[in-house]
Amino acid sequence: MFDATVTSGAEFKDAALLRPIEETSRNFYYVVAGLSLVVLIAAVMFVRQVWFGLGVTGMNQPVTWGFYIVNFVFFIGISHAGTLISAILRLSKAEWRRPITRMAEVITAIVLAIGGLHPIIDLGRPDRVLNVFTSGRLQSPLLWDVVSISAYFTASTVYLYVPLIPDIAILRDRGTKPEWLYAFLSWGWQGTPHQHKVLERAINILMVMVIPIAISVHTVISYIFSMTLQPGWHSTIFGPYFVVGAIFSGIAALLIVMIVFRRLFHFEAYLKEIHFAYLGNLLLVMSLLWFYFTFSEYLTGFFGHEPFEMKVFWYKFTGPYAPYFWVMVSCNFLIPLSLLTFKKRNIIPKVLTASIAVVIGMWLERLIIVVPTLANTHLPSPVGIYIPSLVEWSLFLGGVAAFALGFAFFSKFFPLISIWEIQEGRERSVADVTERLQQYLPTESGGNVEVLSV
Amino acid sequence: MNGKTIFGLQVASLVLIWVLVILIGIWVVNLLRLSYELPDVPSATFGISIIAVPVFVTIAGILTYVFIGLQKGKEKE
Repeated sequence: MFDATVTSGAEFKDAALLRPIEETSRNFYYVVAGLSLVVLIAAVMFVRQVWFGLGVTGMNQPVTWGFYIVNFVFFIGISHAGTLISAILRLSKAEWRRPITRMAEVITAIVLAIGGLHPIIDLGRPDRVLNVFTSGRLQSPLLWDVVSISAYFTASTVYLYVPLIPDIAILRDRGTKPEWLYAFLSWGWQGTPHQHKVLERAINILMVMVIPIAISVHTVISYIFSMTLQPGWHSTIFGPYFVVGAIFSGIAALLIVMIVFRRLFHFEAYLKEIHFAYLGNLLLVMSLLWFYFTFSEYLTGFFGHEPFEMKVFWYKFTGPYAPYFWVMVSCNFLIPLSLLTFKKRNIIPKVLTASIAVVIGMWLERLIIVVPTLANTHLPSPVGIYIPSLVEWSLFLGGVAAFALGFAFFSKFFPLISIWEIQEGRERSVADVTERLQQYLPTESGGNVEVLSV
Repeated sequence: MNGKTIFGLQVASLVLIWVLVILIGIWVVNLLRLSYELPDVPSATFGISIIAVPVFVTIAGILTYVFIGLQKGKEKE
């Protein structure tokens, strides 16, 4: 059992992880003030929208879904960064996960809260969300979304909180202020063997539980589109296509956050190049998978050559949305492929560039899915035009600022890298990995290969 | 803030989580009742309900298990 009781003095090796909590620079206040201003402007714009109605947006007939639904799908997709990746890495006992999981889990909790608000913003009359409780139809994919996102948010928050308990206890024992908050949240943690056993068991159950919930969330979101009979939406592969896209954008967002906070908080000793190389490989794999699904999706539509399907197809490939479409293909496939295939040198700049490209590309993908289908109706009406208004842009930027603000606040109160897992890794990982290797590897004895008995 | 107050708040937060789960249960039952009343595909509604409610109950159960386990695992002072 590792000893995490040494929480202060020279023996405490991970003081660097607590520095952002115990010391606040002037820049922190400037950043918080700037981000708060953007959020405030977004809030004012939202009040304006409630006051004047959805007429202040660029949405109209026939394009009745715009930025809000695009951002909803995008933010919920980013949320897959966290809990899903963290759970998969924990489940597969990837030792390099230790400094990554916490940041991934924080991303999930924050973007889920932001993403989940977007359909309410899209309603125009936010009070009507109460209809979901009084007279919702649980057999509608829209209600499945409400249920699965609520379940994912609850599970992710618990999955963030439970592994945080030992670190909160470290802050409590160091007398970090507000002391009452850390005493309240640490739930009496003392690091006894029984408590470790309970915590590990709970984390194990949660990580198994959270994976199907995460997958269900984006599958259900895809159903909002694919359960309709609209060209460009009615597709059987939309579920896995959305899940792949979500994990893809999630990894990219996680890499950006890791690089930014590594630089800001000087986490170079914890987040090493190898972490970026491994996650970069994962990003490359997801890029190839994304391309495979995109190719499959469009080839099937093109081969069928159904007139309405083709109207949407050409709208994206050569029509008004062609610039967005080809930028999306470049950002999601060409740029990651060219940067991440050969990355022996300058790993971090390459991974950062690829990740930023993927986040932009995945946002464009959501835009390309939502708008062109609505613009090209079955009716003999002119093709719809959608130009987002200042209100929609403000709320989009407000969402991004709220995410950054949430992350900044979290970093002010809790360690962004799991201290106890790092300590556990130092004490146990080498022995654990050696033991596992002895189980995996066959040994040669007398010319014959025989597997070591365990 | 003394230890007893903090412990009381911790118990209260756990109770609050269960209240939330019960409210979710009541909400789902209400929608189920509505779908039977309106003959609006109650079978599908029932199918979703039996997946959704246990998820929330399990999450709350895990939190309760952690809380009780951590209290039991404390060293006696």
